[in-house]
Amino acid sequence: MSDPWMERLSDYLEDDMPAAERLALEAHLETCRDCSVVVSDLRRVMNRARQMDERQPHRDLWPGIAKRIGATSAGAQPIRRRWSFSSPQLAAAAVLLMTFSGSTVWLMRSAGSLPADGPIAATAPPPATVTAVNVRRNAAENYAAAVEDLERVLSAGRGQLDTTTVRVIEQNLAVIDQAIAQAQRALLADPANLYLNTHLAETMRRKLDLLRQAATLVPVS
Amino acid sequence: MLLFLAAGIALAASQQIDTTVTVERGQRLQVNAYGGEVTVTAWNRNAVRVETVTSGRQRIEISASATTLSIRAQGRHGTSTEADLRISAPAWMPLNLSGVNTTAKVEGIRAPISVETVEGEVDVTGGDGLISLRSVQGSISLKGARGRISVNSVNEDVQVVNSTGEIEAETVNGEITLEAVDAAAVDASTVNGDITYAGPVRTGGRYSLSTHNGDILLTVPEGTNANVAVSTFNGEFESEFPVPLSGTRKGKGFNFILGSGSAQVTLESFQGTIELIRPGGRKDRERRDRSDH
Repeated sequence: MSDPWMERLSDYLEDDMPAAERLALEAHLETCRDCSVVVSDLRRVMNRARQMDERQPHRDLWPGIAKRIGATSAGAQPIRRRWSFSSPQLAAAAVLLMTFSGSTVWLMRSAGSLPADGPIAATAPPPATVTAVNVRRNAAENYAAAVEDLERVLSAGRGQLDTTTVRVIEQNLAVIDQAIAQAQRALLADPANLYLNTHLAETMRRKLDLLRQAATLVPVS
Repeated sequence: MLLFLAAGIALAASQQIDTTVTVERGQRLQVNAYGGEVTVTAWNRNAVRVETVTSGRQRIEISASATTLSIRAQGRHGTSTEADLRISAPAWMPLNLSGVNTTAKVEGIRAPISVETVEGEVDVTGGDGLISLRSVQGSISLKGARGRISVNSVNEDVQVVNSTGEIEAETVNGEITLEAVDAAAVDASTVNGDITYAGPVRTGGRYSLSTHNGDILLTVPEGTNANVAVSTFNGEFESEFPVPLSGTRKGKGFNFILGSGSAQVTLESFQGTIELIRPGGRKDRERRDRSDH
């Protein structure tokens, strides 16, 4: 990781680089396989990020969920962000953070469990410095809190759901948990693997999606 | 302004209902049935016909506004109930169908369609525009659709056939089959199941097929222009034709470019085989034979 260009690849992809430096980096990319592969990978993640960003929740789930967990709605606003990342783990954390954009961040903010000035929000001005460690820690904490909230909703409403539905949801959560565990084990052996990082993040997103979907099935009493 | 047409057809005993309501363009059909089998079939009249047999404990409410014709099956005191509804509607009429233990079958509607159920299969032929089909415990089958397609199950298979547009297909524990589709953007994802994509890869298109525990089969027609990224951790890659590798990544990941490389194809399987085949080739014929049986 001694290549000085590596940390500049994110700026390059975001077109946030002086022209001369850009030309120099492009010349470097023609000869440096490591950097060109990372650029290719990051482009892919960013393309996916843009796709995910456009995806809106099917409906606003917060009012129903808030009622179930006894939280109050705080008129939260949708969050926009600027992406800047240059390592596989950070890219994966970014993908995971994006899963909060539709309804979970909204849920977390409305429930008051996410600081209003947390690093997820980056409208204007963009964050001066967002370190990989901070983003990853926040992504993990927010994810765990969201999962916990939704599991609580599901647990409380379990008796109101059809037993077959509960069984199917639990089986599928187990399938996802197993996939998450396998991806985590694979990452221990190869922590810099971008595919494994994004795959883990995507699989965690699937768990959140399923929990959210299950929570909406619980009748509001 | 809400225009009330008819409501509260309550019956004391088992009785056959056959009601037809005139509708106008601009109205959408909204059907809500807690359980049972709902069939919506297009016909060539500007009217909606509802046929069902109710028991004494059921009632079918039909109400209309300038924008919506609503059909609701429920118990006599507002409780949940099952009802088999046979509905005929104009092909131009957008449809929203929701239920819990409901099986949905839609045929011939050429308008946006939304179906959402928990325990029941969804089988749709047709659809134009925004098409969203969701079930937790039922399989999803969509044929002959056009538009922005979103198909989502949890515990069953998802299939899209003979359809065009943008496709988003997702399940957790099931296979995804995209057969004879012509899509500029595809995002197909499952955790435990195979994914098959058989259709053209459009210039400038975006295709993402991802599974954790399953195989990916992609038919690649001659003359395809695509930048293909393949990633796996514990799986294999096979191709019926030679691929020119242009870059490798750590683990079992690599890229290659076909033709001009204008389309972006991402293939990811954590522990399954990723396979590229030619349409009409031996493996494609074998695949078709398997799906025919």
